[in-house]
Amino acid sequence: MPQTVFAPWENPDEKPLIQFRNVTKKFGDFTAIANLDLDIYAQEFFALLGPSGCGKTTLMRMLAGFEMPTSGKILLGGEDIAAVPPNKRPVNMMFQSYALFPHLSVWDNVAFGLKREGRDKSEIETRVSDMIRLTRLEKFARRKPHQLSGGQRQRVALARSLAKAPKLLLLDEPLGALDRKLREETQFELMDIQEKTGTTFVIVTHDQEEAMTVASRVAVMDEGRLVQVSTPDRIYENPNSVYVADFIGDVNIIEGSANQTGDKVLVNWAEGHSPLVATTAAVLQKDQTCYLAIRPEKIAITAEQPDAANVVQGEILDIGYLGNISTYHVKLPSGHVIKAQSANTRRIARRSFTWEDKVWLSWSDTAAILLER
Amino acid sequence: MKTPLLSLTATLALTAAAVQAEEVHVYNWSDYIDESLLSKFEEETGIDLVYDVFDSNELLETKMLAGGSGYDVVVPTGTFLQRQIMAGAFQKLDKSKLPNLDNMWDVIEKRTDAYDPGGEYSINYMWGTTGIGVNMPAVEDALGADAPVDSLSLIFDPANMEKLASCGVHFLDAPTEMIPAALAYAGLDPDRKDEEALAKAEEVLMAVRPYIQKFHSSEYINALANGDICVAFGWSGDILQARDRAAEAENGVEIAYNAPKEGALMWFDMMAIPVDAPNPEAAHTFLNFIMDPENMAAASNYVYYANGNKASQEFLSEDVIGDPAIYPSEETLEKLYTVTPFGPKEQRTLTRLWTKVKSGT
Amino acid sequence: MRRLVLILVPYLWLIALFLIPFVIVVKISLSDVALARPPYFPQLDLTAGWAGIRTFFSELDFENFTFLTTDDLYWKAYLSSLKIAAISTALTLLIGYPIAYGMASARPEWRATLMMLVILPFWTSFLIRVYSWIGILSQGGLLNTFLLWLGVIDQPLTILNTEIAVYIGIVYTYLPFMILPIYANLEKLDGALIEAAEDLGCSRTSAFWLVTIPLSKSGIIAGCFLVFIPAIGEFVIPSLLGGSQTLMIGKVLYEEFFSNRDWPVASAVAVVLLVILIVPIILFQRNEQKNREASQ
Repeated sequence: MPQTVFAPWENPDEKPLIQFRNVTKKFGDFTAIANLDLDIYAQEFFALLGPSGCGKTTLMRMLAGFEMPTSGKILLGGEDIAAVPPNKRPVNMMFQSYALFPHLSVWDNVAFGLKREGRDKSEIETRVSDMIRLTRLEKFARRKPHQLSGGQRQRVALARSLAKAPKLLLLDEPLGALDRKLREETQFELMDIQEKTGTTFVIVTHDQEEAMTVASRVAVMDEGRLVQVSTPDRIYENPNSVYVADFIGDVNIIEGSANQTGDKVLVNWAEGHSPLVATTAAVLQKDQTCYLAIRPEKIAITAEQPDAANVVQGEILDIGYLGNISTYHVKLPSGHVIKAQSANTRRIARRSFTWEDKVWLSWSDTAAILLER
Repeated sequence: MKTPLLSLTATLALTAAAVQAEEVHVYNWSDYIDESLLSKFEEETGIDLVYDVFDSNELLETKMLAGGSGYDVVVPTGTFLQRQIMAGAFQKLDKSKLPNLDNMWDVIEKRTDAYDPGGEYSINYMWGTTGIGVNMPAVEDALGADAPVDSLSLIFDPANMEKLASCGVHFLDAPTEMIPAALAYAGLDPDRKDEEALAKAEEVLMAVRPYIQKFHSSEYINALANGDICVAFGWSGDILQARDRAAEAENGVEIAYNAPKEGALMWFDMMAIPVDAPNPEAAHTFLNFIMDPENMAAASNYVYYANGNKASQEFLSEDVIGDPAIYPSEETLEKLYTVTPFGPKEQRTLTRLWTKVKSGT
Repeated sequence: MRRLVLILVPYLWLIALFLIPFVIVVKISLSDVALARPPYFPQLDLTAGWAGIRTFFSELDFENFTFLTTDDLYWKAYLSSLKIAAISTALTLLIGYPIAYGMASARPEWRATLMMLVILPFWTSFLIRVYSWIGILSQGGLLNTFLLWLGVIDQPLTILNTEIAVYIGIVYTYLPFMILPIYANLEKLDGALIEAAEDLGCSRTSAFWLVTIPLSKSGIIAGCFLVFIPAIGEFVIPSLLGGSQTLMIGKVLYEEFFSNRDWPVASAVAVVLLVILIVPIILFQRNEQKNREASQ
């Protein structure tokens, strides 16, 4: 099935749905958002990712209208929405706690927003049943929130926030209260619903896996700033900083000084060890401090010395058995501990390495990403 | 004699605790004794005196009828005493233990015989009249120099009351005081309790009801003294107290007390011993101590009420014995009347009538 | 066994402190007034054995209850008490709710202090607090002096000894009983619910009516009961602050007991009052029960 790639952010003619322009938000002395610019496009599933206190929730609450920017502008469809109160914005939010009205039934919770618009009864009826069907809550329509399970409540919250067909749906840690298995199922359900309704979703999460799974683009935030905004694969493969590389997935960071020739860089990282080789498009100064980020799955672990661009020897310190893969913690003579992963294609009994084995680690010159910060 | 309002204040729940032989519990009206007498009693007799106060006959009566009050001496007013004797609330006095009975005044005894014939159960403590207290300058302003300040027409003639309304009139909140006065004004026997008489009293009271600022049995003391009101129908001692307070304050208020010339109600507060008194022996000792002329005079000099003790009169100070408002002349004394208690049925009619007068319902 | 004891304790409590006294009051209400100690008849004479008990019961009748219907004073007093209690409860709610709301939306570090301020008046005797209103409301009192000084009025207002003073007294006295349950309720209210309502199109006001009020319903009901029930039998406040025309069942009860010395009629008045109070409570609880079952 042929599919055009959905990437409006790469099309300069595309008008963003939401634009943050030099937005700063201060709470007293504390700067929650610092001079931030961001474009989000229609029909995106956009994830704001970061540790708690990074400003991602503040950003979302400004979109919902619960917080006002201290300076700067937020445009929605090209219009400044600073003066628009939350109840007048074509934006709905799914709250982290779900914030279901405990005194109303599932049906009435979903109908709440529609009734406020003063639509006629039959229209409300149809819309609510659609939403309830979409979220598979038919059996529970007459129940009160306290009579539902966590997953059911989550679906009510989703149905309620979608009922008014908002231009933009904000999801604040929507899956945080669910257990792991349910969370994974729901992630796919969310994507499915997002696709069906064509609504723009902005999700706030601290769970990088969740962000990677659901989002078309991810914004990694730190201390009120955007560190990197990109698609999940690029964020993973091409992090622009140690912070992002470290935040997304597992990574080995090796600090060293650069010695560039063309697109190849030799990184001196430890006394008495030959430099490591990496490629980069950037231009580095001689002896500039730089960091090599190498994903564990890109490091091969062998008993014999292999022929590769980067080869180091060490001793196995620890083995993390995860079923499909194993993670080896290998201690190098320099003191560095490098994580390497290998797929467990064989049964345990035939596995080749055990604790204190001397092993060789190797990776290609394109496996490592060279980072300047 | 004061009334119900807030008897709660005085409800010092007294536990009928284990009473030792050398303790006597006395329950008297508030502000009704020279307190130095209390320590004098303890010194003279070696008996511990526990002294409690109340401020309404109704409260005392409820305790007496419920029984087990723990008191050895109580002080009900004559009409209440009579009913409580009938209910069997008191024990007969052992007169052999009361040598000071000889000091009592036969004039008063003759009158209190109406409540307790032969003084079998009680001795008189204080007595007084119910009458009219006026702030002279204010009343003269309203009614002219010849205002009938010594007549019930001052308070029961609507023409007078209409003019007095703006400067303020208080009545006692006590139907047993007000109904006899209304009957006296109407020219009827103040002690009548039949329906015809009560209907007449109701008529008199309803006619002046709109001009009465308040029915209350103690607020008028302050209100009179401060000049907030100009007329109060109340108890002699209370009005004299207001007179002295006003004089001290030098606020232009001049209070005078008059027993109405149509006749004034004379009331008697009597000391008696409850039938279940824990220590009747000590109770007799206390009664005898009170009947000592000097002690009785000290009490009267303090509270400005007349007492029923003839021998005490030589120890009374001049502003007590010499004040006709306290010790009326022979002539006035003859015009004073007493009343008997209401029976249960009559009492209900009376209370209902009073509610109607006060609330219009 | 331990469970049984735990269940029994509240029942014993209820029996000892409510049921037994109530049975005694009912018994007195079925007796006749007598000039005796205690002032009613018949007395239960257990020494006469079974015959004594039989005579005792044969002497009881409902005469006092029929008597209450013969005089319009009683139903007028009941009605007037209901009216005064209802209006006072409504006023207390109108004043108490915003206070509770303000407390609940105050910063957490302030709440304990605010709570303290609400409870503080209880540290002074109730009677003294009511008495002090006399000083405030009287003709020459603080309020009139202040208003005259402001020039708002040129004649002192007559507030004391009127029904207005009774309302002021009741509202003042019972305000904490309204504030505390509502506050307890509002404090638990999740602020996200209000945001959710606003997010879904409610203005601040409609969010208040559609979410805050329904969710504080149980606090409002508890507060109203705590004010209404004692207010209906209130005696001290109407006696001290009310005028002689303020008719309340508490005053009637007092007169029956103290002035008329008619304990049986007084008891009948009290029994009827209790019935008036208990019936709506039972109906309300039934209704709640039904709602709860329906939502299961």
